[in-house]
Amino acid sequence: MAKPKEEEYRNRIELLQGTLDMLILQTLQWGSQHGYGISQALRTRSGDVLQVETGSLYPALHRMERHKWIAAEWRMTEQNQRARFYRITAEGRRQLARDRSRWSTMAAAIASILEA
Amino acid sequence: MNLSWLRFDRRKAELDAELDAHRRMVIADRIARGESPAEAEAAVSRELGNLPLAKDVARDTWGWVRLERPAQDFRYAVRQMRRSPGFTVTVIGTLALGITAAAAMFTVVDHVLLQPTSYREPARLVSLHESDGARQWDVPWPDLRQWIEQSHSFQQIAFSTGLGGRNYLESGHAAMEINGASVSANLFDTLGMKPQLGRGFVPESPTYASKNAGLIVLSDVVWKQAFGSDPHILGETVRINDTPYTVAGVMPPGFQYPAVTTVGPHAWVWVSYQLGPRDNGRDWNSDRLHVIARLLPGLTVARAHADMAAIQNRITAALTDPEERKQASQVSIQRYDSTLVQADLRKALLALLAASGILWLIAAVNVTNLLLARSTARQREIAMRGALGAGRGRIVQQMLVEGLVFSLSAAVLGAALAFTSVRLLGHEMSLRLPIPVPATPDSSILLALLGLTTLTAVLSSAWPAWIAARSPIEPALRQGGMQSGVGRGHHRIRGGLVSLEIALSLTLLVACGLLLRTLYSLRHVPLGYRTDHIVVAHLDIPSFRFVHRDMTQQLYLPLLERAQHLPGVQAAGLISMVPLGNTFVIHFEMQLNSNTRIVSYMKAATPDVQKVFGFKMAAGRFFNDQDTANSQPVVVVNEAFARLYSPDKNNPNEIIGAKLLNMRSTPAIIVGILDDAHQGTAVAQPSQPEADIDIRQLTPDVTFYNALEGIAMDLALRTSRPALEMTPNLRQILRGASPELASANITTMDEIVEDSWASQRLAAHLLEIFGASALFLCVAGLYGLLAYVVTQRTREMGVRIALGATRGNLLWLILRQAGFLLIVGVIAGSALAFASARLLRGFLYGVQAHDGWTLTVAALALFFSGILAAYLPARRAARVEPMQALRAE
Repeated sequence: MAKPKEEEYRNRIELLQGTLDMLILQTLQWGSQHGYGISQALRTRSGDVLQVETGSLYPALHRMERHKWIAAEWRMTEQNQRARFYRITAEGRRQLARDRSRWSTMAAAIASILEA
Repeated sequence: MNLSWLRFDRRKAELDAELDAHRRMVIADRIARGESPAEAEAAVSRELGNLPLAKDVARDTWGWVRLERPAQDFRYAVRQMRRSPGFTVTVIGTLALGITAAAAMFTVVDHVLLQPTSYREPARLVSLHESDGARQWDVPWPDLRQWIEQSHSFQQIAFSTGLGGRNYLESGHAAMEINGASVSANLFDTLGMKPQLGRGFVPESPTYASKNAGLIVLSDVVWKQAFGSDPHILGETVRINDTPYTVAGVMPPGFQYPAVTTVGPHAWVWVSYQLGPRDNGRDWNSDRLHVIARLLPGLTVARAHADMAAIQNRITAALTDPEERKQASQVSIQRYDSTLVQADLRKALLALLAASGILWLIAAVNVTNLLLARSTARQREIAMRGALGAGRGRIVQQMLVEGLVFSLSAAVLGAALAFTSVRLLGHEMSLRLPIPVPATPDSSILLALLGLTTLTAVLSSAWPAWIAARSPIEPALRQGGMQSGVGRGHHRIRGGLVSLEIALSLTLLVACGLLLRTLYSLRHVPLGYRTDHIVVAHLDIPSFRFVHRDMTQQLYLPLLERAQHLPGVQAAGLISMVPLGNTFVIHFEMQLNSNTRIVSYMKAATPDVQKVFGFKMAAGRFFNDQDTANSQPVVVVNEAFARLYSPDKNNPNEIIGAKLLNMRSTPAIIVGILDDAHQGTAVAQPSQPEADIDIRQLTPDVTFYNALEGIAMDLALRTSRPALEMTPNLRQILRGASPELASANITTMDEIVEDSWASQRLAAHLLEIFGASALFLCVAGLYGLLAYVVTQRTREMGVRIALGATRGNLLWLILRQAGFLLIVGVIAGSALAFASARLLRGFLYGVQAHDGWTLTVAALALFFSGILAAYLPARRAARVEPMQALRAE
């Protein structure tokens, strides 16, 4: 009984891991943003389909910070709330390019299978 | 590290602030959309989910948590321990008991068997002897010279020979008795040791004109005691038995060669061996040399053996005397370490180490059982942690840390107890162990202790941890309560563990029983002489004071005369070693005729020794007043001697009248045969051939005079007064005879007999302690299991009574379970005891290793103590009030 549950969970993580990183980097392309802002942006731009949980978002942000794809600094928001803003680095842009090309290759491959 | 921790704390605070900011922004947004603040708060809590887990996962990406968590677990474990002090004390006490025994035994084994010497790379040091295949001898110089010249297996070959007799060192500062050896110039180099002061001997190959002549190297003990660690000692002159030497070095503390001192004091000096014309021969007049060599790196003993065998063949081919050729026919090569400890002692120590290991295992199993019980009781707590997001690995890790904290505390306590017990048992051990065991930890002991601690933690808590982590979360949370079900499998595991404890305990109890029966048998062996009311003084003879004097006339007979007139003394006698004395034995060998070679103990005695000990004669007479320096020399032998060497094998008494030794110009005649007495060094040994000579017939010109009179002598007194009262008077006359004798060791014959089975007694005492502890632990384990089972099944018991079960039924229900565990344990234990008893065989006397009675008694004792332990919980089960039990919870 415990086993399928475990696998289901793992699938979700795996699906999200690469794509979430790519989506975050893409979001940061338009300007630096804090965690909440990123999650809002992903939500609105996906037409409320993608909801990123804090439990996935922040670990991802910190992991990417460690890879030096993004950098962080504390700033004030327009509402005068102190928040940690992330911006994309040069390395992050390169990573985004790699992710996008891989994504489009994969999407094309999947599409061709589905349409065959 | 410190800085890193600071940075880590800062980042933790930052993460908290970041998530807090997130939360506030969500709330602000929701309020802006028109929700009330309270609604917004609630919605956010729902939406954001498990924030602490998110923090944990985020922190995980920093790679720091691996360090942070054990610290957290440690604090948590300590908190848990303080919350249930009773449980904590039980667990730590149990583990400490096991660790104490194992650590104490390992300390002994480490000092005596693993690293008895402090020499560099001891594995490459070997002892070389000539041998006829059965016995072995030290090596005469002509052979050794060829070994040194022709062998290709050794980096260095060194040799030594004892100074012999009693040796006294005198200098301007002090005089003390010392032990000495004359050694080759390269001995210290071969051992890999350097003097702490001075350069020692000048390196040179063995030569007849040595540059080292007249040089002496002191041990640290001598340097401290005789010279107060004087740093300007080099070049000073000291006298050994009146011969002057110049100090050339002082060896470091702890250095000793030979590594074991069998006779005399531990204070050593080394002088340079001087080759002389007599070394060219191989008769009794020339020294035989003790050879120690360092193997070339990587060379095995077997390879060296092949090398030496070829050389030895050439040597023996040149020998003419068949006896000499036989004695030199082989070369025996042994690791130097392994020559220091006799095989049966080695076996005994290993058996005791194994016994302590068993006790440790019982303790660990007992704690496993306790922790299993507690993990059941903590099911809810663990389930709660699981529900809050703790992973399985996290829970296992946390419980392992708990186990480690337990075993670390136990190790600290156990180590302290172990060293205390080593100190307390010091006297017993010094009687039988060739190497002193200091009660201080060294690196290998600490390492072993650390390993033991970790192993204990893993062994005792891994299983409970695994079971705890594996158990499903939901049922535990839903049901709750103490009586929630644990699987049958779980019970079976705990039952199995208790049976294992019982089996291991039985093994120890049987071993203990066998040794107690051995002690009983030893105490009841008819010795063949009286031991009561005898006071014995062991005298180390300062022979250098009597160099040109007749010790018989000027030391022994006057001393005996005065001793006889001490108040309370009924008879007084001198004998070179009292029976079972274990001080100093003299072997002599002689060719009786072409096919019989006599090998026998030899002792010197006075006639009154017979009155003191009540020796009985099998035939003939003992010495009497007619035997004097001028009368016919006589010898008294024992039955073992007569049986072996009588001219008529069927009639040992025929030996009376035979000529045996040449004393002065007249051959001595055997005049009597002593009843076989247990005169050797141990009661368990069969009687060895022995020949005695009357002290009054020993004059300085007799061959054995120096060996028999110049080294050790026992003065034995039959008294009507207690030994303690005799001591002052006795010391006074000893001091009068020679000042050095005042410090003689004075004891009683009863004590000497008692000490002769010291090794059995030591082993029996240790096994009594191990066995009692094991019994206690396994009874406690059984009680713990059943008490727990009864608590768990209270409701079931209530139902049973409500349905008409009698209290007797319930009592029987629990006792039956206990009986089953006990029987399984006893059966397994009997098999284990049967298999392990062989280890003890060399230690036993008067009882078989597979003794049915001992096994039966031990098994019954264990069984009934177990049933007694089971009775208490069983009675509690039988007294359950059905209504209360059903209402409980």
